[in-house]
Amino acid sequence: MIELREIKKIYRTGSQALEALRGISLKIDKGEFISIMGPSGSGKSTLMNIIGCLDTPTDGEYVLDSDRVAGLSFDQLAAVRNRKIGFVFQNFNLLPYATAWENIELPMLFDGKSSKKRKKRVIELLNAVGLYDWRDHRPSELSGGQQQRVALARALANDPPILLADEPTGNLDSRSGEEIIAILTELWKAGRTIVMVTHNDHIASYSQRVIRLFDGMVLP
Amino acid sequence: MNLTLPLFFWSEYRKRRKKAALITFALFWGTLSILLLLAFGQGMSTQFRVSFSGLGETLIMVYGGQTSLEFQGLPKGRLISLYPEDVSYLQARIPEILRTAPESYGGYQVSANGKEVNRTVHGTTAEFALMRTQVAQLGGRFLNADDVVQGRKVAFIGWSVAKDLFGSDNPVGKQIVINRVPFTVIGVLKKKLQDSMYNGPDADQIYLPFYAYRQIDNRRRINQIHIQPREAGQSKLIEARVRTLLGRKYRFDDADRYALSFWNTIEDSKEGLAIFKGIEIFLGIIGALTLLIGAVGVTNLMYAIAKERTKEIGIKLAIGARRRVIVQQLFLETMFIFAKGTFWGFIVAFNLVHLIRLIPVNYESFGIEAYLLRPVFSLRIFIAYMIILGGLVFLSGIFPALRASRTNPIESLRYE
Repeated sequence: MIELREIKKIYRTGSQALEALRGISLKIDKGEFISIMGPSGSGKSTLMNIIGCLDTPTDGEYVLDSDRVAGLSFDQLAAVRNRKIGFVFQNFNLLPYATAWENIELPMLFDGKSSKKRKKRVIELLNAVGLYDWRDHRPSELSGGQQQRVALARALANDPPILLADEPTGNLDSRSGEEIIAILTELWKAGRTIVMVTHNDHIASYSQRVIRLFDGMVLP
Repeated sequence: MNLTLPLFFWSEYRKRRKKAALITFALFWGTLSILLLLAFGQGMSTQFRVSFSGLGETLIMVYGGQTSLEFQGLPKGRLISLYPEDVSYLQARIPEILRTAPESYGGYQVSANGKEVNRTVHGTTAEFALMRTQVAQLGGRFLNADDVVQGRKVAFIGWSVAKDLFGSDNPVGKQIVINRVPFTVIGVLKKKLQDSMYNGPDADQIYLPFYAYRQIDNRRRINQIHIQPREAGQSKLIEARVRTLLGRKYRFDDADRYALSFWNTIEDSKEGLAIFKGIEIFLGIIGALTLLIGAVGVTNLMYAIAKERTKEIGIKLAIGARRRVIVQQLFLETMFIFAKGTFWGFIVAFNLVHLIRLIPVNYESFGIEAYLLRPVFSLRIFIAYMIILGGLVFLSGIFPALRASRTNPIESLRYE
């Protein structure tokens, strides 16, 4: 489902060049639950952003669902992010002025889904993450755990086959973290492919496979 | 038509409209200031023109004089007077003349209603009204051709005379006595601005039919002849022809500058027009500079708004918003804010201008209020303003929007 071949990412600032990824190759099959681990600056988030089509590699080839990502336009990449990939961020990245309902509805709006379909799906997702009663609250009125559950519901809005979670429990207390990981595990069991970046060995232990990065490379 | 996105844009705009309030107010205030500035400027310019034409438009006045050159054995220093027949004499011989009118005048005791005043009384013809901006107030009229030919004892009076003799009563149909001869008032001069005059403003004058005037003043000579050319550009030519024709008739050198004198308002108005043009250019420059300052402010605010929304744009891009959605949203918001600000600026400016115009002007005092209290709202200026500012706002809205839509979602998400 996800195949990376010799992926490199170099950040240039003036005459300086920083090699964040140095030729990463990996394959993630459909329905897998994998964790990416590594120290700060090892390239975990960069790799996650490339897998999530939020960023493009400097070199190498990324094949997603047998499509070469390098050949896709800006809007085609947006469509991939909208339909195929759900993204959960460490700092939630919810729209601050929008309610839980509106935040969850957003990806469906960009996909052009009808009001009726959106409404049905939002109710379904709010119930699934246990926040139906909080639907009219803004992020600032929700706890960290609740915000991450809204973010998770938003990531699932268009029912994407892949879920990417960049340190989803990093900003949460242990109980909220457990709740999130429990939801992710359920989603995996339901057939979704899950790629998660984490620092936490305990959290990583829920996944089937752990990929360890160091200095922009995959440790054997 | 799929209204999903427009409705979404609208709901997002409503959530953030407090943040847009400042820019909306800036647009409102800018529109109001510029429209008022230009309305007052144009009003002032118009009032100057009106005031200038209070005496009369495209008018040449010919007066008698005294020769300063010897001519055909005749000595210099001879008095040259004008006579009623000179009017038709000139009209018949100079085809460039549109209309003419004789005018005689003198100071007389005028009484009515138990009151007595001393005023200048004029004898003239119906054409005088067209040349000297003599418009009657409602319910009255100026002298007509029959009044003149039949020597009717009727009078057209200035509004100050009416006030002095009749107070707030309507003088039309009432009698006034001039030099012991009774005259019926047929009209009162409508109030007007007048910055050029002889014998005082027209408000203080009394006009009688030419032959009726002869009953109180039996001098044969007249004080002046009014000439209106067919085209303003022919005024100098007419002056020259009058000198030649009257020089031949009264035997003076047509090069003699003092045998006749002329008051050519057409030539005077050229100077006036240059002043009006200067005022308009000056106000135009001020308007343009104000517009520029306003546009810089608006651009700055638009940029700040787009910048402030970097993270939000990053989130939207990350969850699958296409580039055009980001551009459309920022652009529509900008245009909506522009429309809202300028609409209210227009409404307030339009109503203020029309309210100010309701304030009565005191025509007797010739004060500054006569020039300031008649602003003119110009739709033409408003449209030009909308096009220029709209263009600037469009550019200031579209560029940050395009820039935001092209940003790497990761960079935007990192923005705090």
